[in-house]
Amino acid sequence: MRGMDLSLNHTQKLRLQRALESLESGTNSNASVTVADTIPVNQEDGVLKGHGTTDLDGEVVATVCGVIERVNKLVYVRTLRARYKPEVGDIIVGRVLEVAPKRWRLEINFSQDAVLMLSSMNLPDGIQRRRTAVDELNMRSIFEENDVICAEVRDFMRDGSLQLQARSQKYGKLERGQMLTVSPYLVKRRKQHFHHLEKYGIDLILGCNGFIWVGEHVETKDNMIEDEPSKPDPKNNKSQISISLEEQEQTYTPLETRQYICRIANAIRVLSTLGFSITVDVIREIVDLSTSKGLDIHDMLGAEFCVLVAEKEAERRR
Amino acid sequence: MGSVKRKSPGETPSTHTPQPNKQQKNDTNSNNTSLTTNNQTDAGVACVHDVSYPENYVPAPRRSNTDQDSKPAKEFPFTLDPFQSEAINCLNVGESVMVSAHTSAGKTVVASYAIAMSLRNQQRVIYTSPIKALSNQKYREFKEEFSDVGLMTGDVTIEPNASCLVMTTEIWRSMQYKGSELTREVAWIIFDEVHYMRDRERGVVWEESIVMAPKNARFVFLSATVPNAKEFADWVAKVHQQPCHIVYTDYRPTPLQHYLFPTGGDGLYLVVDEKGKFREDSFQQALNALVPVNEKKDNGKGQKGLVNGRAGEDSDIFKMVKMIIQRQYDPVIIFSFSKRECEFLAMQMAKMDLNDDDEKVNTETIFWSAMDMLSDDDKKLPQVSNMLPLLKRGIGVHHSGLLPILKEVIEILFQEGLIKCLFATETFSIGLNMPAKTVVFSNVRKFDGDKFRWLSSGEYIQMSGRAGRRGIDDRGVCILMVDEKLEPSTAKMMVKGSADCLNSAFHLSYNMLLNQLRCEDGDPENLLRNSFYQFQADRAIPDLERQMKILQEERDSIHIEEEDSLENYYSLLEQYKGLKKDVRDVIFSPRYCLPFLQPGRLVCVRCTSSDESTPTFSIEDHVTWGVIVNFQRVKSLSEEDADKSPEDANYTVDVLTRCAVSKDELSKKTIKIIPLKERGEPAVVSVPISQIDNLSSVRLIIAKDLLPLENRENTLKKVSEVLSRFSKQGMPLLDPEEDMKVKSGSYRKAVRRIEALENLFEKHEIAKSPLIEQKLKVLHKKKQISAQIKSIKKSMRSSSALAFKDELKARKRVLRRLGYATRDDVVELKGKVACEISSADELVLTELMFNGVLKDIKVEEMVSLLSCFVWQEKLHDAKKPREELDMLFTQLQDTARRVAKVQLECKVEIDVEGFVSSFRPDIMEAVYSWAKGSKFYEIMEITQVFEGSLIRGIRRMEEILQQLILAAKSIGEVELEAKFEDAVSKIKRDIVFAASLYL
Repeated sequence: MRGMDLSLNHTQKLRLQRALESLESGTNSNASVTVADTIPVNQEDGVLKGHGTTDLDGEVVATVCGVIERVNKLVYVRTLRARYKPEVGDIIVGRVLEVAPKRWRLEINFSQDAVLMLSSMNLPDGIQRRRTAVDELNMRSIFEENDVICAEVRDFMRDGSLQLQARSQKYGKLERGQMLTVSPYLVKRRKQHFHHLEKYGIDLILGCNGFIWVGEHVETKDNMIEDEPSKPDPKNNKSQISISLEEQEQTYTPLETRQYICRIANAIRVLSTLGFSITVDVIREIVDLSTSKGLDIHDMLGAEFCVLVAEKEAERRR
Repeated sequence: MGSVKRKSPGETPSTHTPQPNKQQKNDTNSNNTSLTTNNQTDAGVACVHDVSYPENYVPAPRRSNTDQDSKPAKEFPFTLDPFQSEAINCLNVGESVMVSAHTSAGKTVVASYAIAMSLRNQQRVIYTSPIKALSNQKYREFKEEFSDVGLMTGDVTIEPNASCLVMTTEIWRSMQYKGSELTREVAWIIFDEVHYMRDRERGVVWEESIVMAPKNARFVFLSATVPNAKEFADWVAKVHQQPCHIVYTDYRPTPLQHYLFPTGGDGLYLVVDEKGKFREDSFQQALNALVPVNEKKDNGKGQKGLVNGRAGEDSDIFKMVKMIIQRQYDPVIIFSFSKRECEFLAMQMAKMDLNDDDEKVNTETIFWSAMDMLSDDDKKLPQVSNMLPLLKRGIGVHHSGLLPILKEVIEILFQEGLIKCLFATETFSIGLNMPAKTVVFSNVRKFDGDKFRWLSSGEYIQMSGRAGRRGIDDRGVCILMVDEKLEPSTAKMMVKGSADCLNSAFHLSYNMLLNQLRCEDGDPENLLRNSFYQFQADRAIPDLERQMKILQEERDSIHIEEEDSLENYYSLLEQYKGLKKDVRDVIFSPRYCLPFLQPGRLVCVRCTSSDESTPTFSIEDHVTWGVIVNFQRVKSLSEEDADKSPEDANYTVDVLTRCAVSKDELSKKTIKIIPLKERGEPAVVSVPISQIDNLSSVRLIIAKDLLPLENRENTLKKVSEVLSRFSKQGMPLLDPEEDMKVKSGSYRKAVRRIEALENLFEKHEIAKSPLIEQKLKVLHKKKQISAQIKSIKKSMRSSSALAFKDELKARKRVLRRLGYATRDDVVELKGKVACEISSADELVLTELMFNGVLKDIKVEEMVSLLSCFVWQEKLHDAKKPREELDMLFTQLQDTARRVAKVQLECKVEIDVEGFVSSFRPDIMEAVYSWAKGSKFYEIMEITQVFEGSLIRGIRRMEEILQQLILAAKSIGEVELEAKFEDAVSKIKRDIVFAASLYL
């Protein structure tokens, strides 16, 4: 039962079991291997051994647990519940661990910490220039420890460490919301990982590394034109303070939005407990389901709702 | 898109009146230009300055950094030309600029100012150029001046962290796809030779780079003169939402004189003087001096006279060079359009010695100090050892087939003035400023892949730009060697025509699609929407709309009485004509009519109508009679025709009839067939069978010799007699069925329908109306206009839709079919591999890799296989590679065929066999033994190709291998990665990868 930690009563258990069984019937499980399992390649010529495989006495052997995947003559093993394995172009959410010279170190659920160079993100003033020592000193004003950041995987360095980048304004610091951690395999690579749920006024970022961000919607502005007038004027410090007070007023998140954030977050938690793929459509459905049933936010994590979701999923896939 | 036109002093005031809301911008601009325009007193060198603003653009308040502006970032030791200072003003304001001027005018000044400015402001600046060699040269030039300069080409990387980076445009594009930190730091991007954008193969790289460039960056575009610079600037302004200035000048620092040199003649004829006046009279003289090379022309190649010369005489090129040296017009660049011709011409200079002893010693020193970096074996290469004696005599050759190092030595020697006479191909006309006093075109026709064509005016401008050294010569000399009759209009077009337009050559590639798809917010459609191609298409729409409106108004203004019945009549007429034509086609198919085309038969021939465009609307045609003299088969140029059966060939019939012969000013005779009774000469003309209307059953006996005029006149008289004799009952005609034995169902049907139609005509009321002819003409015109409107509507529909939309769909389908991307446009593993491959066909190479072909073969074999991806030249007498290589090649061909077929099935337009044969096995052997460790001279013995081409090929393979290393890494195949790395180390050695002399 996938090691789920739920307190179910007897009927719920049965219902859940039935739902999961019907889900599993569609998938074939014979392609899965554990470490040191031989992968049959039928003595073909020119077999390419991809990730998670190695050559042992002329046989192709798995080095991780997972599912065998084949693309033409390439054989590789896709891991299941392992740490996140980054690929170039992935959108990830991470948490700043350390501010280092010219770079931030981020925890992203990878076997190493990822690196975001100061030069790999746009400066707040939007001017194209080389990063100076002053910029380096001001790095903490951009991100500091424990900030949650969204970025894109740019490149692997020669030593295998990971470089991130923030291509545009929509990447960067995430505020006013919650970060959830799920198993990375639950998040599939999609064309879109940023989602704006207009109905609730919420941004949802499904990081490929299993970190998911649910937060209040922020309008990403094109800083090109608007930036000019709003440049901080050093001579006028007083007005700046008053602005920042106003800004504080603006940054207040309404209760309703906060509730939505929690509701969506709980929907993701339910999916994660059940081990279902997390996509924006499924999340929407579950949120709708919970509101239509009139459930309170905290009730969503109860056993009954969980079983309900599983049944619904089983029904959907049938 | 608002524009404000402002011309610099010295030009007549612009007639363009700015719109009221633009007035203010005009003011702000003229404020800051008034600072520097005061020293522009030279009236002759004016330039045009224009600005493109994006739509809804609000000009930002001028930054308050005027204190910086007061001191220029760089001072020049000479007075700037107006166009240079105009452009620099734009840079100072911090706005993008496009500079369009001749090669020699000094655009580099603008680039170096932009670099100086960026360095001062601690910003990074990128300089891109289309050619590696040019990048190397520019790197050296900038390095000397600014020191904080780096270089990145496919071959070398030097100081990639420098503030100013010189690179090829391809590298810059891939850096943008990869999101290099440069994209966040670069403030100015300089695109040199941006007119390369119209290059069919590589032009798209410029569009990609410009569209994807960071939004806050500013641009400097340097381009040859292009008439539509404004359009380009409008596009940049729109895509990047920033103003873009245009500074245009067609000023040449040294004026040009254009001469003609007729083949076989021995003199120069001035055709265009330095003021740009075309001299008709001396042009005619030049053409008259043309000695006919040979009566038999060999299909326009016509280089016989140039190359062979007549026995005992010097060849033309020799005479020419001798004359140039005598008149002290040296140094001279002689352009020809093929590498072989280049070398051949140089060989004819064997008797000439243009250098004195001092210069000889100098040449030799420079030459050997450059060759020093080569190994002893490589120094013995025939190309190296053969070149020196030539160079010592002051004669050089420059084309892409040379070893890169030789090419560079020759460039250096030329710049030092040690080469007086350089034979070069077109490539020499692009890039670094290497002027000569004289430029000679050894040919005015160029082979462009499938046929010979006249040189275009744009090419002529580019190449003639090498004539005239600034500050040394007071004028440049341009000599065209003419070996064929060329019309004054063609020559005028070439010599005086305007530069080529900068048109988009956008096309899609899979690598581009995948790279776009891979980015989170990358969308190929977005790229398409912002492309210059789309911009140009959109731009055409208002024009088309206007045209359509005019036509519609015209159509509506035509009123015709009784239109319905007239139209009815009109359509009947059309049908009637169509049927008549069908019948004629049957009767006069050679099968039926050839036996009756005997000499002496009277035929009815249609007169040449004076105006072809207005068709006649009577049932009667204008016809006249004549006598057949002979008939012959039309010989077409292609050889396949020879085995056509006599029935299918085309024939012309020589007919004696009354003609009006007139001569126009070009001494071209035009002969018109006219009715017998009119005044004119009796003449024999060849008419196509289709012009014959009827064959009569009467045959005359004609005089044997028709050359004397009287004989012809008499024959025609006889014709008239016969005609008058039969005038009452009509000429007896050959009956198609009885006499000519035409047996065809369609013929009978058509004849019956004609009869029915003739009855209808008689019943038709309107046919009796007196003005029927005119009315029909009006109706015809109306119909034509309607058809025009229809076609305009069609082209409007196609341009308003997203360009390439269908192709994009088809290509995405291909990617899905082959498993590179999913239905939701998520790039899969194979797609990620193909992303990395940009220097070869990404699909075929990825398929080869995933099919394990590269896995089990030896490294040398793999390298040899890769050579097929880079080699495109066709060799005629290339040997087949050895068996194991040939087998690999077959595998490659199979893969290519499969990929091509999938594309075809997905409705991508592709010629499957053409695609397959674009992979050439010709250098497989050579590359194989190079990877085995052979010396360069050894592999040159194996193959017949040019040294330089082979080196370029191997260098490009190294590029591919580097990309493959990354690809192998991304799929986690360690062994393959190691193999690729091994391959790189095997081919990257010696002369092939000898560093450039400019570095």
